[in-house]
Amino acid sequence: MSAFSAPPDEYLQANPREGHLVWDRFIRVFHWSLVASVTIALISGLALDATWSRLHLVSGTFAVALVSARIVWGFTGPAYARFSGFVPSRQQVVAYLKRGTGHMRHLGHNPLGALMVLALLALILGLGATGLAALGSGLKTGPLAAILPASQGGVWSEIHETAALALLGLIVLHLGGVIFESRRSGENLPRAMITGRKARRMGDIAAPARTAHPIVAVLSVSGLLLVSALAVTDLSQRPLSNPPVAVIPPVYSAECAACHMAYHPATRPAASWQVMMTGLQDHFGEDASLPQETAAQISTWLRRHAADTTDSKPATLWAGLRDTTPVALPDTAQWKRLHDSVDADTFRRAPVYSRSNCVACHADAETGWFSPFRITLPKEPTP
Amino acid sequence: MKHVLTLTALLLAQPALAQDTSPQDLIALYGAQSGAPPAPDAGRALFLSDQTGGKPDTPSCTTCHSADPTRAGQARTGKAIAPMAPRVAPERFTDQKFVEKWFGRNCNSVLGRPCTAQEKADIISWLNSL
Repeated sequence: MSAFSAPPDEYLQANPREGHLVWDRFIRVFHWSLVASVTIALISGLALDATWSRLHLVSGTFAVALVSARIVWGFTGPAYARFSGFVPSRQQVVAYLKRGTGHMRHLGHNPLGALMVLALLALILGLGATGLAALGSGLKTGPLAAILPASQGGVWSEIHETAALALLGLIVLHLGGVIFESRRSGENLPRAMITGRKARRMGDIAAPARTAHPIVAVLSVSGLLLVSALAVTDLSQRPLSNPPVAVIPPVYSAECAACHMAYHPATRPAASWQVMMTGLQDHFGEDASLPQETAAQISTWLRRHAADTTDSKPATLWAGLRDTTPVALPDTAQWKRLHDSVDADTFRRAPVYSRSNCVACHADAETGWFSPFRITLPKEPTP
Repeated sequence: MKHVLTLTALLLAQPALAQDTSPQDLIALYGAQSGAPPAPDAGRALFLSDQTGGKPDTPSCTTCHSADPTRAGQARTGKAIAPMAPRVAPERFTDQKFVEKWFGRNCNSVLGRPCTAQEKADIISWLNSL
């Protein structure tokens, strides 16, 4: 007879109102909602490409909101939800480990399980914070956009990803612990997280009784959400320092967007523009010469708003090319690395035609932002 | 309908033109400069010919302009170019500076030298006859 079909479980299944109510309704809804949102956030963040960013943001934000509510409930909820009922002292953890598998059963979180709960809650909050930092620095959106420079985008993304892998590790440990404890105690713990109930047994370690204050909890969580929403909205609207220049002078659109899209000045360092604007007689294989005065006017504007003086992630990337003064971005290793998931045919076919036609896939290319939210790859042609 | 929209978008995408001349005026101007009557057939032959004197990526006017100038062309970047025939693209040859700029660039790209007044008159007279 396996641990999962031991008599107490069958008895409880037949009498769902029996047994000790350990996990209240909020805890159960919280747990499974967190499972869903963290799963979606992990898959969309680690396995799917940038076009899934929106789903990643929504699921990640939802997970953080759930954890925040759980923390409030840890101070206002019933016995087994309270931090005071399960956060162990160091001695308790040591004693629990020393006793091996022969210890009494904790109805709520045992000391090791409690440490796991705290680690998961803290790590998810940390993921929320580093995610916001990566979003603010790298993508220049959200509450931290005006505070963090784009050059930090890579670092925050790395930290965020490492934390996500750590979370994945903790989840594996958590599942291992649940399976182990289910077998050891002869009680189906995943099912207890659905029904909320565990069998009453002699010698169980129960949490001290506490009265729940659901109204206080709802008010606190509502207040927290409201304050966070207001703070996020206010911070998100702060003006950015040195964003890609927004106003494109008509002379530039007229003279430099007749044969190709209007490349934003932040797509090249000033030195590259200098090279390009002095060699217009042989411009990518064609004569694109301009009257000297017009060329000088355009060159000055391009260099003033070039990648070196713009704070955005793509500008940071192109500013790094300062020394090589490239004029064709698709020939750079950086460009190729960013586009290696797109097959060469897609660039040749309609409606792209050319690797230089950024705007065919990057809807915001002419603004200089190149946000991952604005990428749409053209559909495969129908045969 | 789609073509009408495309054409409208192409025409709208053109920079504001000075409207200071017309195909007839330009034919007359370049014809007077060359001293010979404009020859549409010679213009057609030049427009459709393959050249070797210019830049290797642009051996012909038709590299970017359609071989049928009543239809849109396409730059090497993929960007559409409005038709060249004034009958379907009335903005063509109505801005002298614009015409001079593009003759200057494109003759050098295709031929490797400036076009003569005779060649300009020939080409415009052919395009204007379509």
